[in-house]
Amino acid sequence: MQNSLNDKPSTSAPALEVRGLRKSFGSLTVLEDISLSIREGEVISVIGPSGSGKSTLARCICRLEAIDRGEVLLMGDRIDGGRHSNRDIARLVGMIFQQFNLFPHLSVIENIILSPVNILGVPAPEAEERGMALLRRVGLADKRDARPSELSGGQCQRVAIARALAMNPRILLFDEPTSALDPELVGEVLDVIADLARSGMTMMIITHEMLFAKEVSDRVLFMDAGRILEQGPPEDIFTAPKLPRTQLFLQRMLAHVGRELVEAAADERRFSHGS
Amino acid sequence: MALDFSAIYPYLHMLFKGASITIQASLFALFCGLVLGIFVGAVRVAPFGPLRSIAAAYIYVIRGTPLLIQLFLIYFGLPSLGLNLPAFTAGVIGLTINSSGYVGEIVRGGIEAVPKGQWEASKVLGLSYMHTMRFIILPQAIRNMLPAIGNEFVTLIKESSLLSTLAITELTMVGQQVRSVTYASFETFIIVGLIYLVMTSITSLALQYVEKKWTVA
Ligand SMILES: Nc1ncnc2c1ncn2[C@@H]1O[C@H](COP(=O)(O)OP(=O)(O)OP(=O)(O)O)[C@@H](O)[C@H]1O
Ligand SMILES: [Mg+2]
Repeated sequence: MQNSLNDKPSTSAPALEVRGLRKSFGSLTVLEDISLSIREGEVISVIGPSGSGKSTLARCICRLEAIDRGEVLLMGDRIDGGRHSNRDIARLVGMIFQQFNLFPHLSVIENIILSPVNILGVPAPEAEERGMALLRRVGLADKRDARPSELSGGQCQRVAIARALAMNPRILLFDEPTSALDPELVGEVLDVIADLARSGMTMMIITHEMLFAKEVSDRVLFMDAGRILEQGPPEDIFTAPKLPRTQLFLQRMLAHVGRELVEAAADERRFSHGS
Repeated sequence: MALDFSAIYPYLHMLFKGASITIQASLFALFCGLVLGIFVGAVRVAPFGPLRSIAAAYIYVIRGTPLLIQLFLIYFGLPSLGLNLPAFTAGVIGLTINSSGYVGEIVRGGIEAVPKGQWEASKVLGLSYMHTMRFIILPQAIRNMLPAIGNEFVTLIKESSLLSTLAITELTMVGQQVRSVTYASFETFIIVGLIYLVMTSITSLALQYVEKKWTVA
């Protein structure tokens, strides 16, 4: 049932498909034979220890890194650095960075409309109108003319999300979107992402927020040492991980996250046993 | 010994005229050197190998040789290739080229100081290399560069005194003329020095003003 390479993108094609992806930096192999597929509208979370290659995977998908072997298909279309311009790729996939990477010399609205106006050729008034709609969606309509330096980290990340959405990508990649935030600002960003998930946006979210991953995702991928070791619905991965590596990682994460997840998991088990 | 400036007064207007030549040469070289330097600096960090090497070599040679030699090459050297330039033109071209080398190096530094994340965000938003440079990197780089550019301007005004070796009647040259008729060497060069100081101070103040405006905006 896999599409052959020259098939036209069709609704049945996965939004994102990675086949046999391999990536190394010099002699260090960071990704080994990664294959995965994301359906349209699906939300997957990628978890795993530091250095396991999560960021590199996301960066290979949006072509911030060249890949050594394998292929990446977006909407059924094989992404190829020679054939696709930055613009082509940006229309398919957007990326949210841990450090926001807003443009500090531009106002919030300018950050958002820069690419639609200059790259997609959307007329400025139209782009601005759409930009304002996106700002309202992330709850920052009143920050239209603010500079990034005047915003909190949480607000910056919400602007970054609006900026990515302004390109109308088919898939959004999030690389630890809340890891650089003060704890009290994490919630407002996760709310925006959860809202996107409800609206049917296709997303791949690299995160250390286990509770959030559990809540928002359709599927969780566990990565370790450049491989996807285990994947499945969040209930399975979080409550009944198959592999010892996954168990160990989740135990460690629980120590970080605190007792919340343990309790949530315990509740769930109690309920499921009770029924 | 007492200083006596009265002998200089009749020649003050000549000194001012020299200063105005200095200003003209400096302003011209400053502007052209800036434009050329930004170009050289942008090429210096470009992803196209051969061009980048040429820009690197250009900067290397200019920063590694004395301005005086560069001026001599243009004024005394080029005629042997059949290219005779008037002294003022040769002088301004020399200053421009010299300044563009230093500005190019400043621009390279300014561009490289812009965080890598800005390039990455631009790329995933679909911007090409040229668009990224124009909309994202240069506007930030120029801000980083302003203090160094300011220094370069001040240096340029001072170094323009070397144009006197091409017999251009800029401030230093006129100073020597005034000294040779008044014999008041100390007084003459105190006045000449003061005029340079005023010009460099005004430049510094103007640049501080620009810098403040740019960083607040
Ligand atoms: N540009 C690079 N050059 C060399 N090595 C790199 C580069 N980028 C990443 N690496 C290495 O690749 C490995 C995987 O890095 P990656 O950032 O993908 O991990 P990660 O799973 O995102 O980790 P974290 O949870 O800490 O963000 C690490 O060992 C890292 O040092
Ligand atoms: Mg990472």
